Amino acid sequence: MSSVTAGPATTGSAGDGVVESITRSRWAPFRSLIITIVNLTVFFVIWQCIALAEVVNPLFFPKATDMFSAIYHGFADGVIGPQLWHSIQNFLIGLLIAGAIGIPLGLLMGAVRIVDLILSPYVWAMTSLPRVALIPLLILILGFGNTMQLTIIVLSAVFPMMVNCMEGVKTVDPSLIRAGRVFGAREPQLYFKVILPFTLPFVISGINQGIARGLVGMLIGELLGGGGKGMGFLLDRAGDQFDAPMMYATLLLLAVMSVGLVQGMRWIERRAAPWRDFSRA
Amino acid sequence: MAQAVHPAPMRGGADGTAGPNASSQPLIEIRGVSAGYENKRQKTRLIALRDVTLDVYPGEFLAIVGPSGCGKTTLVNMIAGFMKPLEGTITIDGRPVEGPGADRAMVFQDYAVLPWRTVYNNVKFALENRRPRPPKAELHRRIVEALALVGLTGFERSYPYELSGGMRQRVGIARALVSEPAILLMDEPFGAVDAMTREAMQAEFEKIIAQTGQTVFFITHSIDEALTLGDRVIVVSSRPGRVKEIVDVDLPRSRFDEGVRRSARFGELRDHIWGLLQAEALGARAGGEDA
Repeated sequence: MSSVTAGPATTGSAGDGVVESITRSRWAPFRSLIITIVNLTVFFVIWQCIALAEVVNPLFFPKATDMFSAIYHGFADGVIGPQLWHSIQNFLIGLLIAGAIGIPLGLLMGAVRIVDLILSPYVWAMTSLPRVALIPLLILILGFGNTMQLTIIVLSAVFPMMVNCMEGVKTVDPSLIRAGRVFGAREPQLYFKVILPFTLPFVISGINQGIARGLVGMLIGELLGGGGKGMGFLLDRAGDQFDAPMMYATLLLLAVMSVGLVQGMRWIERRAAPWRDFSRA
Repeated sequence: MAQAVHPAPMRGGADGTAGPNASSQPLIEIRGVSAGYENKRQKTRLIALRDVTLDVYPGEFLAIVGPSGCGKTTLVNMIAGFMKPLEGTITIDGRPVEGPGADRAMVFQDYAVLPWRTVYNNVKFALENRRPRPPKAELHRRIVEALALVGLTGFERSYPYELSGGMRQRVGIARALVSEPAILLMDEPFGAVDAMTREAMQAEFEKIIAQTGQTVFFITHSIDEALTLGDRVIVVSSRPGRVKEIVDVDLPRSRFDEGVRRSARFGELRDHIWGLLQAEALGARAGGEDA
């Protein structure tokens, strides 16, 4: 995505065309991948050396190899697999529910002033309130089960989504609206052809924030909710058992999961809103 | 008078507007129009325009100059149908303006092209919303023609972010031309492009309008631009805007021909309008009016 070509401007004849093709090194596409691999290898090697030197107490700083072996055995013995699957499943369902509620409601808040006036005190209160504060109440109401874990994910993810969608609709460029009207777009067309496409990047960044907040929600639900399931539970148990390699293994898997989700969303964003590319290098 | 330079008006103009002999019946009649904006916080109303009366004849290129904040944009917004006058009436072909309509298209200072649409689809936007939607082949032919007219052939599939400011505005102009409206409303269309591009686009636009013969209502803050393009120049006073003077531009076309803009007459007209506006600018400062 490093070069911008101006469409099919010139056809054929080389020389004085407006668009020229660019030749890049065969290695160019792999360069960042190679750097990343080298970078991570160096990171884990340094980690291993520090752990071997036992500069830090091995009780909370295990060898990198021990962590990888914990991951391997965890999966082989079926310790990690079901918990990971439980977390991912819960998280995706929660995100889906949050999106189904948050996105339409946020768009409505942006478009209809009275809906905004009615809902905004609750939305802002819930957006600002740290989610952990809700845990005791939710346990009281919903118990220690899965419902409670799911609820906290939904509550964490839904409000950033709503706020972003609302902001998106509210910041639609007024001259685009005027252009829409002058060229014959009536209310429904104005929504579908001008307002919604304009809002799409905001919706996506709302989902991104929803993912970040939802992951926090998922973890605190599993850590503090005592449901006995999920990556949070694994983390909690490893801590109780002074099983440092397992703790690090869980953290690494969580990091991989988050990065995967964020990168996935960025990929979707580039496909869904390619016109935003001008803001990127 | 420098009118009747233009050939016949657009085909399909609203109920068969008069022929090339255009100076009989006004197309747009602005009668005693005042306009203002309410400031809810201060519970005041800012008067942008006061008692403006103006006739625009079919096929005429009308340039409006005035100091910034004189209500030029307000006037064009009312003709477009975005806002209503506080007092007075605006009629087009005898019918009062109720809202935007197919007889008018607009070119915006900030281009206002849809960033998520390609050049082709941006132009298509002006045709696809109208109720009797033209058949597909006709739609395509007209878009291709409009793009050719503004020199964008070959850029159909580009997105606006891939284009320079001048080219984006060409998209805006093609979009306005494609539906072949009787009236083109232009709100400082070349105000945001660089000086060299502006010059080139003015020359091209003069040619295009000579071909299409549309009625143009052109807002600008540049006296040179007004004199280069306009058949008549309306000088608007500073806020609240009033028509201060109407200047007939008795210069031959094309104004881009050798010598026209270096002629003594061009200089005289420019000095005259400059004098009017300078008095306005000083008056506004003395009056201490601000937004």
